[in-house]
Amino acid sequence: MIESIAKVRDNLELSSDAAGLERAIAAGDLDSCRAVLHECAVSDSDRAAFYCRLGEAFFYRDQTEAALECARSAFELQPQRESIADFCAWLFSNCGHHNEAAAAYERLIVCRPGWAAGHRHASGSFAAAGDIDRAIQHAARASEIEPGRLEFAVHAGCLLAGIGLHQDAIGYFSRAAEIEPDDPLVLRHLSGCLLAADNRELALDLALRAHRLAPSDRPTAHHATELLLRCDCCAEAAQLISAALAADASDTIGYRLLSAAEMLCGRTEEALDAIDRALARAPAEAEYHLHRGNLFYRLARFEEAAAAFDRAALLDPDNPATKRSQLTVYFDSGRYREALAVGGALIRDAPDNEEYARAVLRVLNRRFETLDGDYVLLGERSAPPIRIARSPSGFWSAAQTQWRVIHALIIRETRTRFGDSTLGYGWALLEPILHILMLSLVFAVLMHGRPPIGTQFFIFYYTGIIPYHIFVHTSSSMTYAVTANGSLLQLPLVGTFDVILARGLLELVTDILVAVILLAGFGAIGLGLLPHDFSGVSAAVATVWLLGCGFGFLNAVVNAFFKSWDKIWAQLTRILYFCSGIFYVPGMMPDWIRDMLAWNPVLQAVDWFRASFFVDYAPHWLDRSYLAAIAGLVLLAGLTLERILRRRLSEPL
Amino acid sequence: MIRLEHVSKAYRTRNGRKIVLDDANATFEASHNFGILGVNGAGKSTLIRLLAGSELPDRGAVRRSGRVSFPLGFGGTFHGALSGRENAAFIARIYGAAMRPTIGYVEDFAELGEYFEMPVNTYSAGMRARLAFAACLAIDFDLYLIDEVTEVGDQRFRRKCAEAFRARMAHSDIILVTHNPQTLRQYCDRGAILANGALSLYEDIGAALTQHHRMIQETA
Repeated sequence: MIESIAKVRDNLELSSDAAGLERAIAAGDLDSCRAVLHECAVSDSDRAAFYCRLGEAFFYRDQTEAALECARSAFELQPQRESIADFCAWLFSNCGHHNEAAAAYERLIVCRPGWAAGHRHASGSFAAAGDIDRAIQHAARASEIEPGRLEFAVHAGCLLAGIGLHQDAIGYFSRAAEIEPDDPLVLRHLSGCLLAADNRELALDLALRAHRLAPSDRPTAHHATELLLRCDCCAEAAQLISAALAADASDTIGYRLLSAAEMLCGRTEEALDAIDRALARAPAEAEYHLHRGNLFYRLARFEEAAAAFDRAALLDPDNPATKRSQLTVYFDSGRYREALAVGGALIRDAPDNEEYARAVLRVLNRRFETLDGDYVLLGERSAPPIRIARSPSGFWSAAQTQWRVIHALIIRETRTRFGDSTLGYGWALLEPILHILMLSLVFAVLMHGRPPIGTQFFIFYYTGIIPYHIFVHTSSSMTYAVTANGSLLQLPLVGTFDVILARGLLELVTDILVAVILLAGFGAIGLGLLPHDFSGVSAAVATVWLLGCGFGFLNAVVNAFFKSWDKIWAQLTRILYFCSGIFYVPGMMPDWIRDMLAWNPVLQAVDWFRASFFVDYAPHWLDRSYLAAIAGLVLLAGLTLERILRRRLSEPL
Repeated sequence: MIRLEHVSKAYRTRNGRKIVLDDANATFEASHNFGILGVNGAGKSTLIRLLAGSELPDRGAVRRSGRVSFPLGFGGTFHGALSGRENAAFIARIYGAAMRPTIGYVEDFAELGEYFEMPVNTYSAGMRARLAFAACLAIDFDLYLIDEVTEVGDQRFRRKCAEAFRARMAHSDIILVTHNPQTLRQYCDRGAILANGALSLYEDIGAALTQHHRMIQETA
């Protein structure tokens, strides 16, 4: 190389420089020429011309860099010379140096005013170099100079459409369409711009015309299909793209469009088939997988949908739409953990998207089994107050509490004592009256107008019915105490003892009130009679009530475990009605029957009541201590049973 | 404060005896809020009822100091034939609270409208829970026992409940059963795990949650 440069230099010294250079170029010794050209004694115009010749020669030898260097040198030496600029524009654009090419073209345009093709070339170079504004300037100028040139108008339109100036683009494309009304490309471009400018109908019209003119052109078919879809003509779109695909089965985008059209027509299975075909040709297209996942999701095939979304996410990890779809499908298939993970990524990628935030919140709520994300964070208890432990409540306060509970239970029982009966508490009064009236009517006839004791049937039957009712009402009502108050027993303060006793107390109070009212009523109709031994009557009532309570506690406990007990007890009380001397006195019976009946504590109670009521009734079989002992024993048995089984009774039913 | 002393509790079920607690000793200290964890069927609800005193232990004793609430859960503590008002009156009576303000509070808080005058039987589960919340908050308890009903009603009602509890928690404690770890962390500072008849207390709810999670994974 150095040798060769020395040789050229020798040559140059021998002859005139220009001739030497000519010889060197002719000999193909380009590198040496280039090395010495800047110091040769030639005029600038010759030097520039030599650079051009060298550049051209380098270019054809594929030594692009050297060619570019030569052209640059020439352009620097004589930028104003037309031939130099012409050569440089040619070389720069052919070597892909669009910036320099554009500069050369601008220089050339100065030399050749009104050169439309030059403006077009400059525009192309500027566009390629990324300077769209100047590209548009030149394109507009080119089309202005030669308004009849189709290519110039199309070029200007494309540039304008490319930066979103659709209205301006429409002007150029319209001009192009005037020049060549049946050019499908022009029609398609015009249609696209019209669509962007929201003139859908005309856009669709043109797109369809373009497709008719070039039925085998893929972009035109795609464009027409897309427009049909945008105009909600899904069926037509599907038909058009199917026809195009029938002629050209390798059109991947066509299958994607067909899938969209079928989906919008509601034919999800067909849409799935189409996207599968598209994916067979372009398996790495993330958007296709996303679309396929959405189709599976529509078919509620969540697993396949999730798989498709996962594939899309793998191919294009940055697309928030994929994550949004993953979120939904994970959420709907119960994979909350994964839904949360992808939701977190979604929020991170698109922190300002409200819809995404809402979707993630919904997942969070489901994850935490709440609705609407209503988490109220409780303030930290900085210094929890130290409470002095209350001393265990003493007997007095415990007794007070127990009384409050029983009192509340009695009031509660009054609300439901007679259920939904319209008579309500009237029934409490009516029941003994009916009994007394019925017995009086029957026996007034049988006994020829005289009761066994005293003078009034009403009073006689009253003295039988009242103790009997106290016993039966108390023992029967208490039977249901536990089963009827199951839910109240869930209150810690309410115990089985309380609910049973409350019922007994209510019956006692009710029956005493009824007894007093009836007696007052008899007095009012002139049949008045007061008991001669008030304390005896009270003792009889108290004892028979205690007896009723004893059986009541037994019944309540037994009935909680043996559900049919109440039916049996009801039958027993009916038998008791006949065995308790209500409508007769035991003295009327044969001795052996009377002796047997005397074992019946209720009969004893009735006779105790009568002996205290009527001054001249003193049955020798009456044994008050026997009744008290029986009452005490039964009560003890009832309370013991309740105490033993209390634990089981307190378990929820 | 509630102290369990050698407490045993078992149920007879169709599949034999189900042991909830076996000689358990534990102290739920005052000034702390406990979250109770356990797998389904471990007996968390039974434990809550034992703590409340709604149920009695087979052996041992449950000692309470301070006023302990009735268990606030989906299992009703109301009489179905009585109206909401009558049930509120009942609660007020047994706890010795002033009738009129208590019933007024329940009526306002539960927002049952006309249903307040109708039998509880006619209520939906949500309405019952609202009544229960209102009745429980109407009485000034030292310790609230809550069984899985932290999420009830609509958003507004839940917020109201949470705010009421927050105010109440300044001087009351809660023992809470829920499957929602978020809620547990919000309300509780300590934890307890009920498993296989044993009740173990944890100083930190986070530790309890972690341990519970591990236990679930081991059995799974």
